[in-house]
Amino acid sequence: MPPGSKPFSDPGSAGGPAITFESMGTVVSLRMGDGDAHDGTGTRELRRMAGAAAEAAFRRWDERFSLYRRDSELSRVARGDIRLTEASATLRDCYMLALGWRDRTDGVFTPHRADGVVDLSGVVKGLAIAETGEILAGLGLAGWSINAGGDILVDGRPAPEVDWVVGIVDPMDRGEVLAGVPLAGPLRAVATSGSAERGEHIWTPAPGAASPYLQVSVFAADIVTADVLATAIVAGGEKTLNDSTGRWPIEVLAVLRDGELLATPGLRRPAS
Amino acid sequence: MRKRAAAFAALASLSVLAAGWEMGVQAGVLNPSTASATAATPSAPSAGPSAAATQPTASAAPSAAAAPAAGTFTGAVVQTQFGDVQVAVTIAGGKIADVAPLLLTDRDGKSVNISNRAAPILRDEVLSAQSANVQNVGGATYTSSGYVQSLQSALDAAGF
Repeated sequence: MPPGSKPFSDPGSAGGPAITFESMGTVVSLRMGDGDAHDGTGTRELRRMAGAAAEAAFRRWDERFSLYRRDSELSRVARGDIRLTEASATLRDCYMLALGWRDRTDGVFTPHRADGVVDLSGVVKGLAIAETGEILAGLGLAGWSINAGGDILVDGRPAPEVDWVVGIVDPMDRGEVLAGVPLAGPLRAVATSGSAERGEHIWTPAPGAASPYLQVSVFAADIVTADVLATAIVAGGEKTLNDSTGRWPIEVLAVLRDGELLATPGLRRPAS
Repeated sequence: MRKRAAAFAALASLSVLAAGWEMGVQAGVLNPSTASATAATPSAPSAGPSAAATQPTASAAPSAAAAPAAGTFTGAVVQTQFGDVQVAVTIAGGKIADVAPLLLTDRDGKSVNISNRAAPILRDEVLSAQSANVQNVGGATYTSSGYVQSLQSALDAAGF
């Protein structure tokens, strides 16, 4: 078991507890529904392999991109030990991806910290989740969910006739859920940004200006888009919210500072 | 503001489009989309995770072939002097119950998907599946230590 990583629970029997592990300063929960496979031990072994592969994938992304690890490649770039042009193709690709999102969000999302340091944390968790999804699919697994610190990607269904449903936490009372949204259509990913638990970590374009939003959840077809746009909308406020819902096929649930909600039509309860 | 002006101008032309839509039915321009409880079913690329996707209403059931069409229909993209416009029309009881714009394109060629605008909503109007069915909780990132007190840890321990 790698250092800094301890299991919160073991992969249980089929349909049992989630597989959880610590990474990127948070906890990753993997669930694998019944999918196609129902054969006892073979499925258990496959789940164990999937859990180990997922943990390894997260560790790779964290080891390369964490600014909390002095020895990470990105920390060495930040210190000037190596130039960006000398960095690995993985790091440069990741930086280019983040720059693309900076352009698409009119600079609201940025991979540059106020002090100029390249900070790719806005895309790295999403990329780790996406890669984990590819790994699970590559193992032939279907009907899984990956939840990394509240950012979620799902595949298929947890069981026949059952949807993956994500509860969006109420930032004003974190024991309560604001909405229960099935991830059943083309939008299989949701990411949430806010200031509720980790403090005001999102830079606003106007220095010193507080975001109008306590919390923003974005539902998208892929987890990187969801994650980037949730961050951008918190930082960019109403203009970025309206630009984003107009430009991308997403649904958004935003909680204003006074607790009022904004939601796109797809998150509205159908009239009964 | 120009964008808004273009949007209003295009909205003003919707009555014309609605008339065009009626002809469009005969010309076979319209593609019926799945019936939806909401008036403005987003066009394919913007289809949301609405409950309607999993609970199709019976109003557009294929068996109702002889009955008048009911449900929400997405029109073709129509080019106007104000830009590209696409509307969704909801039919109920053989009548147009609602016309919702799906796509407007402003003069800069930037598409404005005004049907997807986030609007104020009351807490009891938000999509809310049975909490017993929730397997995952999404929320602003919790720390490793915060996880223990999180709803997610309870769900993880319980399985589903």
